[in-house]
Amino acid sequence: MNGPQFAMTAFVVTWLTASLRLAGPVLLAALGETFAEQSGVLNIGIEGTILLGALTSFLVSFYTGMIWPSLLAALLVGIAANMILAWMYVTVRASQVVAGLVFNVLALGVASAVYRKALGNSAVPESIAMFQPLHIPFLGNLPVIGPVLFGQTILFYLTIALAFVAHFVLFRTNFGLALRASGENPAAADSAGISVYRMRYAGTLISGAAAGMAGGYLVLAQVGLFRESIVSGQGFIALGIVIFGRWNPLKATVAAMVFGACDALQLSLQIFGTHVPPQLLLALPYIVTILAISGLFGGKAVQPAALMAPYIKD
Amino acid sequence: MKHTLEMRNIVKRFPGVLANNNVNLTIQAGEIHALLGENGAGKSTLMQILYGFHSMDSGEILIDGETVRLGSPKDAIALGIGMVHQEFMLVRRFSVVENTVLGLREGNGPLLDLRRASEKLKDLSNRHGLALDPAAEVGLLPIGVQQRVEILKLLYRDARLLILDEPTAVLTPREKDQLFGVLRKLREDGRSVVLVTHKLAEIMEIADRVTVMRDGQVVATREIGSTNGQELTRLMVGREVNLRADKSAQKPGAAILQVEELRVRDETGHEKVRGLNLEVHAGEILGIAGVDGNGQSELAEAVMHLREIKSGRVILKGADVTRLSVALHRTLGISYVPADRRHVGSVTEMSVADNAILGLQRKYRRGIFRGIREARESARGLVARFGIRTGGIDFAAGKLSGGNLQKLILGREIMRGSAALVVEHPTRGLDVGAVEAVWGELLRARQEGKAILLISAELEELLNLADRIAVMFEGRIMGVVDAAGASVEEIGLMMAGITAPGAAAAGLGNKEAHRGETL
Repeated sequence: MNGPQFAMTAFVVTWLTASLRLAGPVLLAALGETFAEQSGVLNIGIEGTILLGALTSFLVSFYTGMIWPSLLAALLVGIAANMILAWMYVTVRASQVVAGLVFNVLALGVASAVYRKALGNSAVPESIAMFQPLHIPFLGNLPVIGPVLFGQTILFYLTIALAFVAHFVLFRTNFGLALRASGENPAAADSAGISVYRMRYAGTLISGAAAGMAGGYLVLAQVGLFRESIVSGQGFIALGIVIFGRWNPLKATVAAMVFGACDALQLSLQIFGTHVPPQLLLALPYIVTILAISGLFGGKAVQPAALMAPYIKD
Repeated sequence: MKHTLEMRNIVKRFPGVLANNNVNLTIQAGEIHALLGENGAGKSTLMQILYGFHSMDSGEILIDGETVRLGSPKDAIALGIGMVHQEFMLVRRFSVVENTVLGLREGNGPLLDLRRASEKLKDLSNRHGLALDPAAEVGLLPIGVQQRVEILKLLYRDARLLILDEPTAVLTPREKDQLFGVLRKLREDGRSVVLVTHKLAEIMEIADRVTVMRDGQVVATREIGSTNGQELTRLMVGREVNLRADKSAQKPGAAILQVEELRVRDETGHEKVRGLNLEVHAGEILGIAGVDGNGQSELAEAVMHLREIKSGRVILKGADVTRLSVALHRTLGISYVPADRRHVGSVTEMSVADNAILGLQRKYRRGIFRGIREARESARGLVARFGIRTGGIDFAAGKLSGGNLQKLILGREIMRGSAALVVEHPTRGLDVGAVEAVWGELLRARQEGKAILLISAELEELLNLADRIAVMFEGRIMGVVDAAGASVEEIGLMMAGITAPGAAAAGLGNKEAHRGETL
């Protein structure tokens, strides 16, 4: 193998490996968000929920040194925080956009305060135990696809498995049918004896659990420490992925990979050095997300018909 | 439910209204029982209570003599009571079978078993003569078939009592006949049907017994054999009514409003008006008949340019106004009475006085200020001239009854003095007295020489008011008939998309003023 060819292969492997690695947390959050939106709730609060999940997993891991309980704690905090959101969205029938955005601001404040309270203002960020990439014998040794597909952390494979589970639950179970009916035509769901409120609480709480876990994923498998800027819009990107994925978990998986590839491309290009301004590269995934959310490429036609419409039983 | 259902002394109070006042109703097994009454008589409330949507303040519901509790639709379904709402409770993006099993917990635990459900559905549809494809997406089905889905949903749950709320409002006459065939089969099967309606002819055609409600109370229950339409009307309205408008013979004048090859799309991009032509003359009412949703609203909105026009022309008094603003349309002499009185025709939070000059604000002003005194004077004149019953012109327009609000809107648009008037469903939801008043005003405007385009789903209204009736189906005019010699069957066929041979020719032949290519 000559020089340029080797460099090219190295670039592709680094790029693709990073693509999948970066796709993990946003995909997890997007899978949960799909349930919320299919039930009729646009849960923008997942951005803040990811942050709370990240903080929780960091603190639990820091104090106990145990990884799995840290992840579980992040999930539980996600559910708890989204109880408040679900109450605002479904029971109070507040504007879902406003409630979600304000919640994100609140979550940022709470996270900073708790972090400082717990660790003081020590200049050196504390690092913690993390999930390590698996080494799968034989498969992991294959050229290119070995490191890319079989060298990820256990959380990545768990997330992929959850995508299939989510798809099955949404489209092959009574619960999924009832949940989707609540997002499409709540009055029809109600008259069929389905509790729309319960379905929308369920959708919101599932998105909370997934977002909390996504926060844990970020800390425990990618960063290893906590910063206030750790989420940096990944919750919003997950919203874009839901739209890209047409409210379908399997399509969302593909969409998340595309996002991961954009994100990883800017990282890889920075490492390999290009003449493109890094700021522009950094903005790439966000631009793609804005385009996805804009509806310029369709999407209005397939979104749940009652998305963001509070249900009032008269 | 096996044999009889009894509602005893039902009382239901809404803020400010006694919707059901000591209502008693008995439904037997194997009967079709009509529930007749005007809007606001309390029929819907009573049925919502029976279906568990509303709770009652007092009273009792018994099935075979045993008291039952109906706290939610779930309870009603479990007791064999099902309801087809006026607005279908279907998830448009789901298939027929998905809609059917929605909310059911069947043998398979949490998993959906659509295959078995489809089999059962096919079996049911064969048995009851309701042809259906279980895999079809509901939103793509015609309205009449969607209604079949609703009925099958109930049969799938083995409902013994089926409540149908105004089931024929959205159907063509032919679809109505099919529905009645199904209802008769259900009766033979020993099931009961409650038909909520205000259409007398249908009651006389299919019901076994009829209960008439007025002002929240039951006025009478009759066997169909021992009553007639006149008695039922009297019971329903509380006085003798003869709903027949006397239309003076008059020769129409020049063409005022012309529509040429008009094409209009709806919000989702579907073409709803497809190359439509028509012509309304001075002193003429041109009726547009058709089942709701065949492009009538889009036509009205496009004529006013409230909706984007894809192609074609709208001509007012010889001038092309197609792409002019709505304000210019109004200035140039065309007024619009929309179907939705409360959201489009008026601003319900504002006073009667302000609503009376809505769209005329430029006329009532003093420099940059409003000319409040002049506006109030004109509002008072309007209230007096059209007999609008209101607590005063400072009352919120939203507090007016439907009929009075309609008179306010119609009066405002007539008083503008426009040469052309587009009127959409002017009497929908109004009681008989208000219908009489609105009809009278429209005929007076016709006599004054206005060109009126009247869109209505009520054939009776069109036959009474219109000079000619154009039937719209899927965005096109199927044919035009002279109202004087029109037969309901002929119009009904065209409403279903079937051209009766010679219909258009007959309509045009009687009036030489109309040329074949314009209509």
